[in-house]
Amino acid sequence: MKGCLNEGILQSYLDGELSLEKMESTGAHLASCLNCRLAARELENDGLLLAEALQPQFSLSVPTDRLRHRIDAAISQQRLLNPPRPELVAGSSRSTVYRLFRRLAEVLCLSPQRTFGYASLAAIVLFAISFMLLRLGAAPAALDGIAAVVVAPVSVSIAGPDATGPVNASVNPTPTIDNSKSGAIGRRVAYRAKPTNVAPANDQVESAHAKLLPGERSYIKTIAELDTSLRSDGNLAMRPALQSEYERNLAMLDRAIAATRNAAKSNPNNPDAAEFMYAAYQTKVDFLNQIADSRLVNPRR
Amino acid sequence: MNGQARALIDSMPDQIATVASSLSFDEAFTLHHRAVFRTARAVVRDAGLAEDITQEVFLRLFRNQDATPGEELLRPWLLRVTLNVARNTIRGQSRSLVRDTVYSQDNCETSWKAPEEEYERRLDIEAARRALEKIKEPMRSCLLLKQQGLSYREIALTLTLKETNVGSLVARGRKQFARVYGKIGGVR
Repeated sequence: MKGCLNEGILQSYLDGELSLEKMESTGAHLASCLNCRLAARELENDGLLLAEALQPQFSLSVPTDRLRHRIDAAISQQRLLNPPRPELVAGSSRSTVYRLFRRLAEVLCLSPQRTFGYASLAAIVLFAISFMLLRLGAAPAALDGIAAVVVAPVSVSIAGPDATGPVNASVNPTPTIDNSKSGAIGRRVAYRAKPTNVAPANDQVESAHAKLLPGERSYIKTIAELDTSLRSDGNLAMRPALQSEYERNLAMLDRAIAATRNAAKSNPNNPDAAEFMYAAYQTKVDFLNQIADSRLVNPRR
Repeated sequence: MNGQARALIDSMPDQIATVASSLSFDEAFTLHHRAVFRTARAVVRDAGLAEDITQEVFLRLFRNQDATPGEELLRPWLLRVTLNVARNTIRGQSRSLVRDTVYSQDNCETSWKAPEEEYERRLDIEAARRALEKIKEPMRSCLLLKQQGLSYREIALTLTLKETNVGSLVARGRKQFARVYGKIGGVR
């Protein structure tokens, strides 16, 4: 007979696993084909034999109770080892509140450490500033070091070669104590005295920062004010080498501010990012203050 | 007293959560533990090991409750894990079936039968097992799963086969089994 069925199709037919269409066609073929009918009967017999042979094994008792017991014990043991995951207890409101409290407690626990971190960072910055002022006497090159200290946490590598520092110090042996004092005073004055009428350069700065982050405005105002005052003194007074050094430091500080600002903007909920930005701003203010102070002390530069 | 009450309240939600999360787990166990245990026992030929394997399989189910497939695919998933764990177990240790013989002596519910009948039964089981062992994979697993009532689709999912191949694998496996079983002397 033509188009006889293979054993796979026959087996599927016997197991009722064919599509309805194929079932019908296979049934029709079997009705007309003796060979296939015999083959199908053989398959059926093989199936019966296997079922019979495996029956004693399959009828062996399954220790349901003991299995249940063992698995329950294993599960409870596992629960003890690792407490239930949030998904498993999501239904209970108590645990949700409890978890909230725990998270809050964690934050509170952590905050002294963070505060300490900020404090130490600020201390390092202050120390670096005063140290540089004492050693170099208002040399702007010192700002390289300061910028590096401040911006290091945001991983913007701006620490340049500080080779010009000692050279400046030897060239200008100025009375250092006066210098640092006036620097501190100048800084404080500059930061506190916020002018009501904004300098022309300020508009430019503010338009560039269309969306100011909270607390940023005062820094920008102060910086703009210092900038205009420095400019009014005239850049001509500075030596070309020092001038380029000054420009480079300023550019570095601006880069640091931009980087920290981006970080703060993209993580508005992270207080650390904002802190770093303020630190960068503060460094620029300090730097400009130093320049202004050094002009006062060494007007010939 | 107050402390006791608080302890009771503290422990309550966890218990409720346990019951709620393991309801489906209970169902899965009730429905499928036989298939898992029998498949494991057929592979490792040791009831004690099969118990270990069953426990491991359901522990995995419990651990992955979020990731395990829905009701329809649960049995293939379970049996797939069972076969994997069972094969790893065999690889780890090649125990004889002595332990199983002892075990079935201890635990057979049909111990009321006459000793001769019991002996014959055990011989039958042994002959069937030996014959089944001669059949190559994946036919052997196909037969095993088919005999437990899995559909072709479930078998294909469990063994990562093409569903259209399952029919011929079952047919060829059964033929081979009949031949080997006849030689061993299972058919009297």
